[in-house]
Amino acid sequence: MNPDRNHERIVWVHGDCLRPGNPALRARPDAPAIFCWDDELLREWKISFKRVLFIYECLLELPVTIRRGDVAGEVAAFADEHGATGVVTTFSPSPRFGLITSEIEKSYPVEVLPEDPFLDYPGEFDLRRFSRFWRQAESYAYRGGGEQLKLW
Amino acid sequence: MPMSVKDMRREFSGREELIEYLREQFPEAEGEEAGATRGGRAAAERALAGVDPRRYASTRNFLDGAVTRLAPSIRHGVLSLAEVRDFVLSRVQRANDASKLILELGWREYWQRLYAQIGEGIWRDRENLKTGFRPVDYSEDLPDDIVEGRTGLACIDAFSRELRQTGYLHNHARMWVAAYVVHWRRVRWQAAARWFLTHLLDGDPASNNLSWQWVASTFSSKPYFFNRENLERFTGGRYCRECPLKGKCDFEGEYDEIAARLFPNAAMESAR
Repeated sequence: MNPDRNHERIVWVHGDCLRPGNPALRARPDAPAIFCWDDELLREWKISFKRVLFIYECLLELPVTIRRGDVAGEVAAFADEHGATGVVTTFSPSPRFGLITSEIEKSYPVEVLPEDPFLDYPGEFDLRRFSRFWRQAESYAYRGGGEQLKLW
Repeated sequence: MPMSVKDMRREFSGREELIEYLREQFPEAEGEEAGATRGGRAAAERALAGVDPRRYASTRNFLDGAVTRLAPSIRHGVLSLAEVRDFVLSRVQRANDASKLILELGWREYWQRLYAQIGEGIWRDRENLKTGFRPVDYSEDLPDDIVEGRTGLACIDAFSRELRQTGYLHNHARMWVAAYVVHWRRVRWQAAARWFLTHLLDGDPASNNLSWQWVASTFSSKPYFFNRENLERFTGGRYCRECPLKGKCDFEGEYDEIAARLFPNAAMESAR
C-alpha cells in the first residue's frame, strides 16, 4: 500500500473546465490533479497545432500533472500512484466525457460536480428553438450571485 | 511526489521553447501555425477587463467592431459564463446596456444544454432541409480550393487563411463562409464543421455544429445566405476593393434573385 494516504481523492481536470477555480479544484484544493491529452480525440478531430498550444498554455497555469494517452487508463493509474479512493471532476455535456467517466468508474468511484450555473433555475427549459428557451431563461440570466471577479 | 517519466514538461523559458517542445510532442497536429492568442486565466482576465458591453452591442457585426475575443476561454472553461455575466453587469449603469452580450452568453448556454440532451445527435440533421434539395445532393467532401484559400473570391480566401493561421474568425465571417460552403458550393455541413473544429481555438462541437445547421436550414426555418452588399458593408469594403471578381462574383444581386439562383426548387414550391 502507498503510505501517502493524505489524499483520498484525486482531481481529474479536462479540457472543458480549465480554470484554477473550477468546481473540482475548488472542492479539493490540496489533492493531486491530472490532465490527460486524449490521443484518440486529437486524431479523430485533427486538432490543429495552435489549439494544442492554446490549451497547453491554459494548463501551465493550473496545478496539474500533464500526461497523454488513454484518458481513463491514465486517470486510474494516477489514482493508483496516489493511493486514492476516488476521483473528483467537473461536469461536461460531451458524450465522450460520459464514456471516459464510465470507464474510470470500473476502477474508482467518480464524483462529478456541476459547473457553476449561469442560470439559477432548477427546472427544465424548452430547447426546441433558442427563442423559446430565451423567453423562459432571460430573466434568470441577469441574476448574478457569484463573487465579483476582482480584475484590478 | 517526484515527477514521473510519463509527465509532460511544465517549465519553459518562454513561448518559443514551449512551441518547440509541443512540435516535438505533437508532430501529428495539423498545421505549423502557432497563432497569437495566448491561453490561460491571466490572458483571459485581461481580455475580460477590456470588454465594453455598450460598444459591443452597437458594433459587434462589423469586422472591426468591439468584439470580446472571449470565446476560446469560455469554450475551455477558463472563464465561466457566470463570471463573465457578473463582470459585464458590473460594468454597465443599466442592465439593458449589457443585453446583447448576455444574449450571446445565452446562446452558449443554450448549445451546451442541447448538447447534454442530444449528445452525438449534433452530427445529424436536426430537421429536414428547407433548400429544396435532398441531403444526397450535397457533396460529402470539402473542396481543396476552400481549405487552401484559392477560390478566387478575395473575402472567402482571406477568411480561410485567417482561420488556418490564427484559429479565429469573426462571427459574421463564419456565417458568410458557412453559407458559401453549404449553399453556393453545396457541401454537406458536417464536412465543413469538422474543418472549423480543427482550427477554431473556440471550436466546440455543440456551438459549432448547431450553428452550421442553422445556416444549412436543418436547425432553422430557412437557409441563411447573404449578398455582396451585406458583406461589403460589414467589412468596410476591404475585400471587395481588391477582388478580381468584383461586380461579377457569386454574391452579386438582390436577396430574392440570389434565393432563386441558389434554391430553384424551393422557389418553385413557394411560387405555387
